Amino acid sequence: MSAATVLRCPGCGDETSAGDRFCEACGEQLVTALATDADATDPAAERAVASEQERAAGVCRSCGGVVGEDGYCQTCGTKAALARDHFDAEPAPWVAMTCDRGVRHRRNEDAGAVSADPEPSSRAVLVVCDGVSSSTDSDVASLAAATAAQQVLSAGRARGIGTPDSQTAAIVARLEAAADAAREAVVASTAADSPDPASCTFVAAVVEDGRIVAGSVGDSRAYWLPDRGEGVALTVDDSMAAELIARGVPREEAESGPQAHAITRWLGVDAPEHTPRTRTQDIDSDGWLLVCSDGLWNYCSEARDLAGLVRRTAAEHDGRPLATTAALVDWANAQGGRDNITVALARLTSGRT
Amino acid sequence: MAQFTASVHQNEFLPDGGTDVHAIVTVTASGAGAAGQSGSGDVGEIVIIDTSGSMTGSNIVAAQQAAVAAIDQIHDGVWFAVIGGSHVASLVFPGGRGLGMVRMDAHARAAARAAVASLRADGGTAMGTWLQLAARVFGTVPSLGQRHAILLTDGANQHETPEQLTATIGAVTGQFQCDCRGVGAAWQVDEVRRIATALLGSVDIIPSPDQMAGQFAELMQQAMSRGIADARLRMWVPQGAEILFVRQVAPTVEDLTGRRQEVNPLTGAYPTGSWGDESRDYHVAIRLAAKAIGQEQLAARVQLALGEEVVAQGLVKAQWSNDDTLTTRISPEVAHYTGQTELASMIQDGLAAKAAGDTVTATTKLGRAVQLAAETGNDEATTRLRKVVDIDDAETGTVRLRRSVDKLDEMALDTASTKTTRIKK
Repeated sequence: MSAATVLRCPGCGDETSAGDRFCEACGEQLVTALATDADATDPAAERAVASEQERAAGVCRSCGGVVGEDGYCQTCGTKAALARDHFDAEPAPWVAMTCDRGVRHRRNEDAGAVSADPEPSSRAVLVVCDGVSSSTDSDVASLAAATAAQQVLSAGRARGIGTPDSQTAAIVARLEAAADAAREAVVASTAADSPDPASCTFVAAVVEDGRIVAGSVGDSRAYWLPDRGEGVALTVDDSMAAELIARGVPREEAESGPQAHAITRWLGVDAPEHTPRTRTQDIDSDGWLLVCSDGLWNYCSEARDLAGLVRRTAAEHDGRPLATTAALVDWANAQGGRDNITVALARLTSGRT
Repeated sequence: MAQFTASVHQNEFLPDGGTDVHAIVTVTASGAGAAGQSGSGDVGEIVIIDTSGSMTGSNIVAAQQAAVAAIDQIHDGVWFAVIGGSHVASLVFPGGRGLGMVRMDAHARAAARAAVASLRADGGTAMGTWLQLAARVFGTVPSLGQRHAILLTDGANQHETPEQLTATIGAVTGQFQCDCRGVGAAWQVDEVRRIATALLGSVDIIPSPDQMAGQFAELMQQAMSRGIADARLRMWVPQGAEILFVRQVAPTVEDLTGRRQEVNPLTGAYPTGSWGDESRDYHVAIRLAAKAIGQEQLAARVQLALGEEVVAQGLVKAQWSNDDTLTTRISPEVAHYTGQTELASMIQDGLAAKAAGDTVTATTKLGRAVQLAAETGNDEATTRLRKVVDIDDAETGTVRLRRSVDKLDEMALDTASTKTTRIKK
């Protein structure tokens, strides 16, 4: 980018970089000339039509009215969210996830996938992928990646030779396999000759045998937030900001700098390597496992602050995970909702063998 | 089978705090077929001829010829009748004791021609009584799904008060459509326009009697080509929104706002009468509660409905943005029709002021009309205005009232004031 020309997004006015096809701040398409090339066989165009049809003919999220066939509420006129723009999951009463487009972006390029066994604190998988918005099909890629990773992690039951160390090693191997599967899903979602191949971040946490094993590529995060005491970050970002922090720059300063959101590792055809960095945490007290995208932590980055936010929010919703993930998404939107937001929670109790 | 489309022209972007959404919705019908073929009931036509004393001489002869010309255009099988009107109304055809209509066939056509030939000019003018009789005559045929009349007058409505006429118009509104024509210069444009507007018809001047037959034949041909019996414009707006106005803006300006009939609390219906193969443009304006930047919502669903069936829908949207290049753009269609609507009212107000002797107001209003006609490319209006004012500078609207103006030209300007031109592509 030359110093003389500052490119600004026509949608929100944020600075953009030369060559970007979409604004990082609001998702506005920047290169309109490319868009006009789209013909009827363009898979992106077909998908746009398909997603119009997916537009939930259900209940309006704004006023509770009925959404018409044209995709607008029949009472208040609010445009109904695409199924892709807002979705949630609650595989068991102790695990939940909410994924939302946010306020500023035109598309939801975040994705999440969760699974859990029915018995509380027994076994769960929480995955979040955040599509990199400078590429074309990141919304498709992130959803495919999260789903593929979750399937690999849920299917794996290998426990090594039964010792805690070998169990952990088996889960780490599963996380690596999950990252591989996620990457393949990302690569498969863009045409081989695409100038902007899709890419996304990856974070996954596995709850099994009284411990959490978490791994990540990029800047989506996992935290262990016990009900008492300090919150613990289970992941380290692969980002310019994290490198600055490692060099001693205060977190707040590093994370608000111009390159704060530039990530140094990701999943995609153009990524050199994608082995997740993992960390294991014993569940030694009652608390929350939080897995989230930067749409949430942008507004609350320190583990200590997040612990407070999650505790407060959970308390306001009787400790129900789905109500709490939804409320945390609402909270991030109330802070400005500058990015897509994904929040996954598992309620964990100690004392299980 | 008739086909309908609706397209919307607007700038959906509103600035921060913006509330008012304007849009032009173009509704087009094709494949309408001939009247009475859509299966929505039979068609009834009534020809109403002024037989007051002032028609004596060449006017009544021409009116008889015009009535015959209209009768000749009525398709076989269409129910019809002829009414003669003076200070009272009488059923000229079909004859007999009671009121009624007959289906057109060769025999009925010959009998109607003969009945029309017997018309004599005598008496005064009370158009309300003509309309009342027409409504009663239509009422004798319950199978009618499409009721249309052509009314010819040559004079002012002297034998009833304006209040009586208003009451009658109110009573018959919605019962039939009526195209009105005035012959010569002795009738009142305002008065006849009130009838035509309420009864979803047109108003025009026939300058000389020998043009009557041609005009009547044309009017009846048009009526026979309206295969869509009765359509309503429907408009849904969100809860809490306010409808500023709903106007037809092409082919003529008609304010529909006050004609709303509630379908449900959020949806109103506006009668538009019968349709042939044609396009009509509507200007709708809605006031919403402002939303946050980036929010998008529907401001209106504008639909055409046949009975309860919605056959076309256009969506009027609103999206709040902080980008001035988006929010300051004015839709060319909205701008064009805003100008055309103002043009119509400037012509009418200017002529009214001129008639009242208020030269200053007349000059200002007609000057503005000249300016608007030039800006919006309405050459027909410019041509008509030229006969009433001398134009010094169309761009600034500088005009002088002409000393001697042919009354017929002034009336032609008045009756045509609501005719609009479509935007030049």
